Amino acid sequence: MKRTATSILILAALVFGGLVGNALAQKPAPTQATGERVATAATAAPVNLTLPLKTDSVRFLAIGDTGTGTEQQKELADVMLRYRQAFPYEFVLMMGDNMYGGEKPADFKLKFENVYKQLLDDKVKFYATLGNHDESNQRFYKDFNMNGEEFYRFAKGNTAFYSLNSNYMDKRQLKWLEEELAKDASDWKIIFMHHPPYSSGGKHGSSSALREVVEPIFLKYGVNAVFAGHEHFYERVKPQKGIYYFISGAGGKLRPGDVKKGSPLTEKAFDTDMSFMLVEVAGDELHFQVISRTGQTVDSGVLTRQQPKAKPLNASHPSAAPAGQEQGNAAKP
Amino acid sequence: MKHKMNRTTGFVMGALVVFGLTFSPVPTIAQQTAGQQPDPLESLPVKDREIVVAFQERVKDYTKMREAIELKMPKLAKESTPEQIQAHKTELEKRVREARAGAKRGELFTPGIAAFIRKTIKSEYKGRELVELREAVLEADTKGVPLRVNYTYPESKELVEMPPTLLLKLPQLPKQVRYRFVGRNMLLVDRENGLIVDYMLNALP
Ligand SMILES: [Fe+2]
Repeated sequence: MKRTATSILILAALVFGGLVGNALAQKPAPTQATGERVATAATAAPVNLTLPLKTDSVRFLAIGDTGTGTEQQKELADVMLRYRQAFPYEFVLMMGDNMYGGEKPADFKLKFENVYKQLLDDKVKFYATLGNHDESNQRFYKDFNMNGEEFYRFAKGNTAFYSLNSNYMDKRQLKWLEEELAKDASDWKIIFMHHPPYSSGGKHGSSSALREVVEPIFLKYGVNAVFAGHEHFYERVKPQKGIYYFISGAGGKLRPGDVKKGSPLTEKAFDTDMSFMLVEVAGDELHFQVISRTGQTVDSGVLTRQQPKAKPLNASHPSAAPAGQEQGNAAKP
Repeated sequence: MKHKMNRTTGFVMGALVVFGLTFSPVPTIAQQTAGQQPDPLESLPVKDREIVVAFQERVKDYTKMREAIELKMPKLAKESTPEQIQAHKTELEKRVREARAGAKRGELFTPGIAAFIRKTIKSEYKGRELVELREAVLEADTKGVPLRVNYTYPESKELVEMPPTLLLKLPQLPKQVRYRFVGRNMLLVDRENGLIVDYMLNALP
């Protein structure tokens, strides 16, 4: 059971040292009489990509807590769209709270379909996870690609993604996760779920009961990185027991100033504007860049894959599919 | 530039030290993960076990009944539109509500299982942990959720995260039914039609 000590976090970090961006007031953006949005500073900010765009890399965007339908969510979506010109990400991981305050068909339109229309038209796939504001029935929604399951796996290139329902982590789900990870030979194993096992949030903070049950599984089966939301800010947590943790939960809401100052968990945080993450997995490296609603890069860097303990026996999830090719969802819960 | 290099080098060295410490073998206690732990039912006194098994049977009776109803309806596809999801939910809700017309509180959460659940929560959560759980539950946006059997859990209301450590101790439920805290009370909610199958008061001390 040895987990070797070869992981190195090489941080190219940060370009605009310190926290960037102005405090964001949650007020509607100026609109014209026609209802069309007026260009803002965000739409004018130049795209400044720091990701390497390597051949055959796995490229995605990670965003959480989006489901508001506000002008700010749309402004952030505009920035997402502009960055896709420079960084053609193929899919989006959603960290949950996809629908706040109701999920009638009109809500799906207002809080998701209209906001990300261009991305959906461009065939960018969204993979959702459930938050504490999301009904289980979202798993049947075509554009969330959950395959009718509250927790599921898919793979792209050398990377496996596990979407977990952290709102109801029962024995059935834990057993499924463990069985899937045990036979997973992918180079990178990435978890995404709503609640963060580690967080410097003042309102919520770390989900410690969740951590108690999932962390031993992550460690045992060599999970490399965990993405979460729930907190309405961005945080890159210092590696915990060798695993990288990110919070990207400011896709539709912002909780300004909520990251505890001086938190021993924080490697980098940004809580003064909304944001999303761009991620590129290339071989043994995971590159990331975090962009704010005003188009500023607020964090970036590269992580090196931790050395696996051993390849799983009887691997049924092959590790080498061509990048961008999806391997089907795994066994049902 | 020099300053940046020094900081980077220092960081890398620090990271190596940290990883050297943290990538050590996982403690033995973690070898048996939560998913592998034996069913807590096995270690219960006979009387409690009987109470739990009987409760699980009652829940199973409910799920059998609602499964039979759902089987008669058009199946909801894995790639449904919001309109199809809404229509399916509404229809299932209507049919199950009709089938359970007259259902009363306590039919699933009988006094015996309610006492067992209160006892389990009380023994699992003490001191600071209990305070934190209470805070999380009471802070949640669940005002307006009706404490009424066969009523719907409003979809605009938050679903309080169930602590996984507690879920592992409570009687396991079929996947169609969920435990949910609303205030200090515990509800059984159908995950597809949102109906409140039953509820018990003061589950949380
Ligand atoms: Fe949340």
